[in-house]
Amino acid sequence: MTTPTHSYPGPAGGPGGGDPAGGPGGADPGAPDLLGPGQPRDMDEPPKGGSFLGYLLRKLGGALTSMILVVVLGFFAFRMLPGDPVLKIAKERPMSPAQIAELRSQYGLDKPVIVQFWDYLVGIFTGDLGESYVYRKPVSALIVDYLGPTLLLTATAAVIAIGLGLWLGQLSAWRRNSLFDKVASSTSLVFWSVPTFWLGLILLMIFGGTLQWLPTGGMITPGLDPWSFAGIIDVIKHLILPVITMVAVVYAQFLMVMRASLIEEMSEDYLTTARAKGLTEDEVRKKHAVPNALLPTVTVVFMHIGGLIAGAVTVEAVFSWPGLGKLTFEAISGPDLPLLQGTFVVFSAIIIVMNLAADIVYRFLDPRVRRA
Amino acid sequence: MTDLSFDKVSITYRSASARGDVVAVSDISLDLPTGATLGIAGESGSGKSTLIMSVLRLLPKSAQIDGQVRLGGNDIKDLSFGEIRAVRWAQASIVFQGALHSLNPVREVGGQIIEALEHHAKGTWTNPAKRRDRMFELLREVDLDPSKAVAYPHELSGGQKQRIMIAMALACEPDIIIADEPTTALDVIVQKQILQGLAKLVAERGISLLMISHDLAVLSAVCENLAIMRFGKLVEYGPSDRVCLDPAEDYTKQLAGAFPQIGDPESRMNPRTLKPAEVRRAEPFTKTSEVVLEAKNLNVSFDTRQGRERAVRNVNLALHKAEILAVVGQSGSGKTTLARSLLGLQEVDPGSQMEFAGKALPRKAKALRTFRRQVQMILQDPSGSLNPKRSVYEAVVEGLRVQKITDDEYARVVGALEAAELTPAADYLESIPQELSGGQRQRVVIAGALALDPQVLIADEPVASLDASVRGEILSLFLALKKNLGMSALIITHDLGLAWNIADTVAVMKKGEIVEYGDVDTVLANPQHAYTQELLAAVPRLGSQSLVRNE
Repeated sequence: MTTPTHSYPGPAGGPGGGDPAGGPGGADPGAPDLLGPGQPRDMDEPPKGGSFLGYLLRKLGGALTSMILVVVLGFFAFRMLPGDPVLKIAKERPMSPAQIAELRSQYGLDKPVIVQFWDYLVGIFTGDLGESYVYRKPVSALIVDYLGPTLLLTATAAVIAIGLGLWLGQLSAWRRNSLFDKVASSTSLVFWSVPTFWLGLILLMIFGGTLQWLPTGGMITPGLDPWSFAGIIDVIKHLILPVITMVAVVYAQFLMVMRASLIEEMSEDYLTTARAKGLTEDEVRKKHAVPNALLPTVTVVFMHIGGLIAGAVTVEAVFSWPGLGKLTFEAISGPDLPLLQGTFVVFSAIIIVMNLAADIVYRFLDPRVRRA
Repeated sequence: MTDLSFDKVSITYRSASARGDVVAVSDISLDLPTGATLGIAGESGSGKSTLIMSVLRLLPKSAQIDGQVRLGGNDIKDLSFGEIRAVRWAQASIVFQGALHSLNPVREVGGQIIEALEHHAKGTWTNPAKRRDRMFELLREVDLDPSKAVAYPHELSGGQKQRIMIAMALACEPDIIIADEPTTALDVIVQKQILQGLAKLVAERGISLLMISHDLAVLSAVCENLAIMRFGKLVEYGPSDRVCLDPAEDYTKQLAGAFPQIGDPESRMNPRTLKPAEVRRAEPFTKTSEVVLEAKNLNVSFDTRQGRERAVRNVNLALHKAEILAVVGQSGSGKTTLARSLLGLQEVDPGSQMEFAGKALPRKAKALRTFRRQVQMILQDPSGSLNPKRSVYEAVVEGLRVQKITDDEYARVVGALEAAELTPAADYLESIPQELSGGQRQRVVIAGALALDPQVLIADEPVASLDASVRGEILSLFLALKKNLGMSALIITHDLGLAWNIADTVAVMKKGEIVEYGDVDTVLANPQHAYTQELLAAVPRLGSQSLVRNE
């Protein structure tokens, strides 16, 4: 049996357990109590949970801090990239030193770094991410154009990969060491170890090339209205190969984490209670074991959704999908600094938002976190 | 009504591993007629849990049952899975150790009770409204406020969770209730309430009760008949008074003797054990007047959602050299917080004074490290306080390395293990915790503390998770450490018997305050404070179904 070598954060290490448990309540279950108004309380009854608003504000604060760090990093990291964008442009068409200097001042590259940084900050808060060197368009407009296709691709892939992974994972755990478990786990691990671009190219060659069942690239056949019926069918056809590629490569991690966490729950006493109550095995699994096993899984799933969006770069490049990934890929070859900065900030923001969403979902799933 | 009988039952766990098949239960015959109460006592590994789980066929697939387990005349082996599911909870239900993990942590407890009703409507609880009413009725029967129905298990105290388990077991009006260590991990007062409540509900309804426990006193306080099990075999069976007070078998005597009878001079300063720790000094140390650790006017407050609450209030304590002081109280009385404060692990309120050897307790990290060499802590659960992947040697040596004591490392470790009576020490050095018994693990934890030659041991419920016979061994070890090394110990416990067994002085804590403090002989023989009297009265006594009949 192969086990994944990745270490998955459990509930304690996940966003839910972000607060140290060493508070007074954690140290001694018996913080004393003055009798609550009207309601008799046991001496060692744990204190009631905190408000949702406080929890939300704390998590929002954390997300905001991460965002600020990303913005700062986004600026400085790209200044350290090798290659001078102006010289690169100058290489492509003959330019006089005066023209080069003018280009520099046009991009604001002749100003001191600190001034550039200030302009960048002001830009971010006013929604102006600068102008792309290559496309000669505002970066924010480019990102808006390319964000939709990326969200379509990754959201479809994420929903399928998570659904498939969790479903297979819980079945594998429940029938641990059965033939089903062995086949499901090892198949998923084979796909997990396949490079994304390689799988994409193979699928492209077979289904797009040899068999010619599906289109080989892009999102829609030029000339079709995306909102017409024929257009929607066409987009779906274009989606199939990239989605299969993305799902195949990532669903193993969802399967593995679900399997591991359900196996851990399977020896818990409350399952014996449920069985003793006369529940069928399916009811024990669905009503008791899986809801508990989902807790650590949710953390991992949300963390990986963020990663999935960033991971779209390869797939979009292979299938010429007009998304943020492709845009980033082209920006790197520039180097198109404003565009890179923009996509970097957007990708990071998506990941931060996903982690925030994980924290909030977790609080609803696990009543114990409501105390934090 | 339904009778339960075990007829020559043997249960074997088949296993492909090197250990081969394990016989958990062999040749047990027992009867539980309608309305009877039967207690099965035994230590861990005696097969008592395996036996009762066989009643509802809840054993893993690897268990093979020989003989007959008959429920209402039917051999449970002959029932189909559908039939056994119908029997589960409707005819026989189980009260698990609710204080631990027997309730689903992510579902409201009321819903978990209703779930049982949904599966066994019995023509009575046919719609959701009726089931809800029934659930509230059950909560009232176990003295819980109906508002607790929407609580999650972690929001309830141990006693409340156990009441939920009992309410759940009663839900479908079963004929038999099987109680699996229903009061383990609860303190004496809550234990008394739970046992009385359970016994009353069972008696009123004519339900038969089958209860298992490692605590003979608990069983004899509730059950008419007692069976003693050891290594899967039935050792003794009879009316509970006869078994407890006039046992025929040596093992029963040993089990009955392991629980101290408070007030019995024979067990004072003399925990019963077959393996008493050796006292090597001709003139053993006794309690002196030299104060080692002292707390004056100690207050500890926590900020909670309800505002600031004081967990420890105006506590004055003095621990003398070669004194064993027992701090006794219920869960939530603040005794653990007190212990943490004395170790400098807990921030205390301004104005609190704590002194070690006449000097104020240090606050700085470096000075605290030196202080902690002198005062060592021992925790309740030895399995949890040892790292499962580290050998005994590594577990014991860690304190030395933290304190940067490098000379004679090996000799110190061996010395500490021998002081904790793990002899010959060399045999244990390479073992990992999982290869040791519960008692041996606790000895390793104690050795880890002893390696630093501390002057004071602070132990938090050091024997609460141990079997009766091991309990005696460990208590005797504490007594020997005091006599041989002149060590002082502060022991946090909810067990008054422990104080009677080994302590010189006892402090009774309630809601953060010490309500009574003095010599064990005085306080326990002639308690002044009402709370001390209540605690003493709640301690189950051997025989006579004392908790059931006195009321």
